[in-house]
This record gives sequence, structure tokens and C-alpha cells, in this order.
Amino acid sequence: MPLRHTRLLLAAILACCASFSATVADAAAPAVRLHATFTPERLGGETTIGFGFQVSTPAGETPSPVTEMDLRYPADLGIGLSGLGLQTCSPLTLEIIGGVGCPVESRMGHGTAIAVIPLTEDPLYETAQVTIFRAPTEDGHIALLFFANGESPVSAQIPLPGLLLDSAPPFGGRIHLNIPLVPSLPSAPNVAMVRLQSTIGPRGITYFEHIHGRTVAYKPKGILLPDRCPAGGFPFAASLSFENGSSASASTRVPCPVHRRKNARGRSHT
Amino acid sequence: MGKPAFISIIATTAVLAAVLPAMGAGADFRAHAARTLNATDTARLHFVHSSGSKLFEEGSATGAIPGTMSAHFDIGPTVSTTFVLRARGGGTLIGHGSGTLHGSGRYESFAGTIVVSSGTGRYLHAHGHAGLYGTFDRRTYALVVQTTGDLSY
Repeated sequence: MPLRHTRLLLAAILACCASFSATVADAAAPAVRLHATFTPERLGGETTIGFGFQVSTPAGETPSPVTEMDLRYPADLGIGLSGLGLQTCSPLTLEIIGGVGCPVESRMGHGTAIAVIPLTEDPLYETAQVTIFRAPTEDGHIALLFFANGESPVSAQIPLPGLLLDSAPPFGGRIHLNIPLVPSLPSAPNVAMVRLQSTIGPRGITYFEHIHGRTVAYKPKGILLPDRCPAGGFPFAASLSFENGSSASASTRVPCPVHRRKNARGRSHT
Repeated sequence: MGKPAFISIIATTAVLAAVLPAMGAGADFRAHAARTLNATDTARLHFVHSSGSKLFEEGSATGAIPGTMSAHFDIGPTVSTTFVLRARGGGTLIGHGSGTLHGSGRYESFAGTIVVSSGTGRYLHAHGHAGLYGTFDRRTYALVVQTTGDLSY
């Protein structure tokens, strides 16, 4: 379903509701919590990165919509060597056909997002499935598309364009995500994404290749971890910008894997 | 031209003819004069080792300075490299460079610049700038790198 139709549908459904909330957050920045994981976490091995953020506000307040997000990831993560995103999907394909129109080899990760639709005392929460696709390179930068597909209570399909950009140490780069405003009711607050949880990596992803005339399924390599863990763990940081002009940031670390030493009898312990 | 000027030119020429061979000036000029080479080389590199976003690759180079190349690449949001080219006739070239990705899919292309910063043997004083172009196979990590530019040594 084209995005403009989705927005019209969203507005029409919400128009059936009698009133809407006026308790949108003021210019005060919401609190943001960030988490990150490696599955599995083996130095020098291949992994899937899990990451997510959650926006929270004082009880009764609806946060201002997130408009931009930067997720900084550790140096030496081999995202470019992951074998993920061997094909690309265009924003137009996503908007017109949806994720099913994209080559499976353009999938790089998946997850969920939760959005708040600001109504009266009881705002509606919608969970959308998120799929990350590789998009055509833009100005020398690897491009990504986070495709949020919500079914209920409102059907909405929203592509979120992202870029892999440089970042100052101790980070190796950042995913810059532009999050378009999604209108709800006329003159009412926009829909606000309050939670995103996703992966980038081969977990749950299968690619196909042609070998000697046969189509063979395989699992992409995955994100290569460096041979050494940085002191204190692998750092991640997120900074979010909100529609009301405020911003918030959060950071976390994935702890270094615990060394397993073998004792005299050959049994390992931590 | 008057007679005194003509005599002066002959005298100067005679003095130079007598002095230069004695100084060995001709030989010194040949030894130290910088040579500039407009070089285009292509290296086909294969994967040796990786750690995170870093690749170590080796392979053969063909073109103006054929030989073998060893290179470290960091494949991040941009591509950066340090390399050593061991010329077949002796001597090495050492340098670094960076580029940005342009392609999409299994075969990424990249373009940028390299700097030759030093060398050994007959390339001891090597320096130069060159364009860096290449393709990167994201399944096998094989790289084809082409450099083209001026090299002084």
C-alpha cells in the first residue's frame, strides 16, 4: 500500500475516535535506554548484532516523535565483510510492493518497533515488524532501509532510510536513520516510535545462490568480530532527535567474552 | 656578437669541459636525479586473514611496476588501506590510501586516492599520489585494485 494511502487510512481510522490526547511531551527530553548484544560472542568469529532503544517519559505523557537516530557501533566490526546485503532494494519497491518485492539477499536483519498513537487517556500502541534491507549506495555510503510493517490496530508500512557513516573513535561507524513523521489526526500529535529492537546479522536469514544450475540455500557469514576485545567491552551509543527539538542519548557496552581456562584435568571453568 | 663575448663563451665552455668530468658530476646526476613515472598497476589480491573489519590480502601486481603486493584493508563506512609492493626487479614501495564505496551488491566498487610515502632499494626516495580504483567480492573477499598516477623515485 502506498505510503500516502496508508497515512490517509490512518487519519481516517483515527478520525472515528472522539478526541485525542493533548499531553504530548513538552521540550523536555525523554529518557532513552539502549541495549546491544552479540549472538554468539566469539572473538574473531561471526556474529549477529542485536540493538534496541526505548524512549520513556513521565507517566501520562506521550513522547515527542523521534525524527533522527544515530547508532554508533564499535570499531573493527566487519559489517562490510558480513556477506549480508548482496543485493539491494529500492525505496520505491518497498513503498509500492512492500518487503516481498525485495530480493531475499538484500535482507540484513529484522526486529520489531512499537509506536504510540496519541489518543485520549488510552493511547494506542502498535507493534510493527521491522526488516532491514540493503539499499543502493548513496554518495559513497552504504545505505539501509528499515521497513516497518504494522498490521493492527492500524495498517501502516513505513520505510525508514538509513546510511552507514563514519564516526570518531572508539566507534567504527554509525547508522544514521531518518524517521519520517507519521501523522495521526489533523492538528493532533504525530505517531511516536517509542521502541525499536532489531538485529543486523545472519540470524534468521537465509540466502540463495546458484551452483551448477541448482539453487542452494545458505546462511550469510555474519558480522566479523575482531580478534581482541577493547578494554571495558564493545561500546555502543545512540543519540535521538525529537520533533519538539529536544534530543537524548544513551550508551552501553557489550562485555568482553569471559575467558575459559582449562584446569589441570582439562575441564574448563570461568 | 662582438669578439670579446665570443672569446668569453669559448673560455667558459673550456673550463666546464675540464672541470665537470673531474667532479664526476655527470655520474652524480644520474644517481640522484628523481625519475618520474606515470604508472598504472593492477593488483589481484586474495584473502589471507581477517579480524573484524580488517582484511590482510596478498597477490600479484602487473603494469608499470610488476611484483607482489601485500595490503591491509579496513572495510568500514569507507575503505582504507596500507600496502607494500615488492617490485620484481628489486625494491619496495610503501604507501596508504582510502576510498569510498560506489557499488552495491556482491561486488562493491570503490574509488579514492593512495599516497606512496616511502620505499626501499631503488625506490628508497619514492613518493607520489595516485588514483585508487577497485572492486571487492563480498563473498570471497577477493580484491582487484588499480592505481594510476605519478611516482617519483
